[in-house]
Amino acid sequence: MRTIGARIAIWYALAAILSLIGLSIGGYILLERHLFDGLDLLNESEFQQISARLGPEYQNISEPFIETRIRETTELASTLFYIEILKPEGGIIFRSSNLKSLQIPVDAELSKFNALIDEIGEVRVATFPMLPFRTIIATPLQPVRNVMQSYVKVCAALLMGMLITSLVIGLVISRMLLTPIRNIRDTANRIRFDNLSERIQVNKAEDEVTDLALLLNQMFDRIEASFNQVNRFTAEASHELKTPLTLIRLHAESMVRDEHISNKNRETAQNLIEEVDRLTRIIENLLFLSRADAQAVSLDLQANSINAFLENFKQDAVVLAEHSGKTFELEKFESREICFDPKSMRQVLLNLLTNAIQASPENGKILLKSFFVDDKWHLTMEDQGAGLTSAQCEKVFGRFVRFSNLKHQSQGSGLGLAICSSIVQLHNGNIHAINSDLYSGLKIEIAIPI
Amino acid sequence: MKVLIVEDQLKLGQVIKQGLSESRYTVSWARTCAEASDFLSESSFDAIVLDLGLPDGDGLDLLRKWRQSGLTEPVVILSARDTVDDRIRGLDIGADDYLPKPFSLEELQARIRSLVRRQSTIKTTQLRHGEIEIDLLGHTAKFKDQLLDLTNREYALLEVFMQNPGRILSRTLIAEKIWSSHFDVDTNLLDVYMSRLRSKLETPGQAIFKTVRGVGYQLI
Repeated sequence: MRTIGARIAIWYALAAILSLIGLSIGGYILLERHLFDGLDLLNESEFQQISARLGPEYQNISEPFIETRIRETTELASTLFYIEILKPEGGIIFRSSNLKSLQIPVDAELSKFNALIDEIGEVRVATFPMLPFRTIIATPLQPVRNVMQSYVKVCAALLMGMLITSLVIGLVISRMLLTPIRNIRDTANRIRFDNLSERIQVNKAEDEVTDLALLLNQMFDRIEASFNQVNRFTAEASHELKTPLTLIRLHAESMVRDEHISNKNRETAQNLIEEVDRLTRIIENLLFLSRADAQAVSLDLQANSINAFLENFKQDAVVLAEHSGKTFELEKFESREICFDPKSMRQVLLNLLTNAIQASPENGKILLKSFFVDDKWHLTMEDQGAGLTSAQCEKVFGRFVRFSNLKHQSQGSGLGLAICSSIVQLHNGNIHAINSDLYSGLKIEIAIPI
Repeated sequence: MKVLIVEDQLKLGQVIKQGLSESRYTVSWARTCAEASDFLSESSFDAIVLDLGLPDGDGLDLLRKWRQSGLTEPVVILSARDTVDDRIRGLDIGADDYLPKPFSLEELQARIRSLVRRQSTIKTTQLRHGEIEIDLLGHTAKFKDQLLDLTNREYALLEVFMQNPGRILSRTLIAEKIWSSHFDVDTNLLDVYMSRLRSKLETPGQAIFKTVRGVGYQLI
């Protein structure tokens, strides 16, 4: 978003600057031409003055007389004009004194041109036929150059001003243009599973942004529909499955309570109750997974001290491990307050621990590490069990995954690690399994962004 | 003790009614929201067991209506919906307890009893049962006048039993009291703590706790 805004502003400024540069160059050329024309006009008027002074009968006047007459006229404007009158056969009748012994260059084709005279500098030259002579009048270009220089300076200042104002205007315009898009982004960001029915406000103006908003709203409609479907499905499945399970359980309980029943049947009823419990847990796990898939699980996110959380877990982990003749160790480094759902993260750790305990050999060690790298909370759990092949490591977080080379796994539902994976993903983190480099067994690595 | 069951499912209602009646509860059974409200307008109950999915409305709406009209009877919600959100919503509206399906009859009874007792008894700081004595303020426990060396969790576990002496407590109920979560039921954590607690209290031939298979434990 920010980059598009900046890009629009820069494009806008570039366009403004380029057009200003174009205009300035055009202006430069026109102005220069205009000033040259002015000089030419000056030269011409000087020529007319000379020819008027000489009169129509100039051909009959002697050369020295011509010289005197012209000098009388021209010396007044000696700083403005350089004048030469050439004889047709070569040689000079008149040369203004400000030229000293310098010569005005002559162009064979052009009658008006710029030329450079040493010591005097650039001049605008005009040649006028005054048969049989040729009059050459030059006037300094310096005033024109001065004007043009000032023009360039003014243009440069204008360009700088333009650059700044166009950037500012560009930013304002881009902001105005992007406001509806920003609104869309904010609304889309706000729409989560708990306010899925909120929609982006659609303006009455029928433009591209309205189209986009409408399109997004349609997408949200579909998401909401499928989301509601999942929720309805899980609620109904839950109800349809659990109500009969409740009945089975209550009946089995009444059989267990019945004094007239044989021990064998009572045992059967007991087993029934235990299986109902197991089934219930599988149903709950499956429903959790299907809700997690639809992003319909609400985490109870709150700022928690990591070390307090881990210490609390350690209390139970040590006892659980000890009970099975294993040891549990917690290695924790820096403690921070970060946002996570302690209950579900505890479930993740308990699931991992249960697996690790089952995989570990007698007296095996289980190590849980917690540390921070790159603004991520890392948790690793390692055991000294047999580990997994790398192909199995890839699949271990799948649903109902069981590996035939692991005896212990038959006890679980095959959903424990899938649930761990879901919970970690709900925290925007990732989880994977590798073979432990420290121990011989499996290492589960979790990374959760802070 | 008078209990009103609001349950539309014929078989489930029957089993609950029969089970509670066997334990000498006086049970009324309503199968719709309207019926339930009729029962409540006629007489008062010590506790109400409310299923959420009812044919003529949602149990939560019904409960909200009752609470708004000033009904104070303790209510246990029975529900197949068991996400944290559902639970919180139920308790927010004014339920006193929330029992996920499938439940055991023992557990339902335990919850009803604890609700009724919550209403009546005065809180004490010392609890005594047999030769066990605990101090709720000091978090200490004595057995045969000897101070017991218990970890936090073991003490918490003992306290749950001492609050409900002689009653069968389900694993779910205990887990909720100690870890305020029922996830831990998946592990054998509770059994491990029970065995540790037993090893500190019981001597051969002198049982203090009884394991009730498929349900939980009981302090005898």
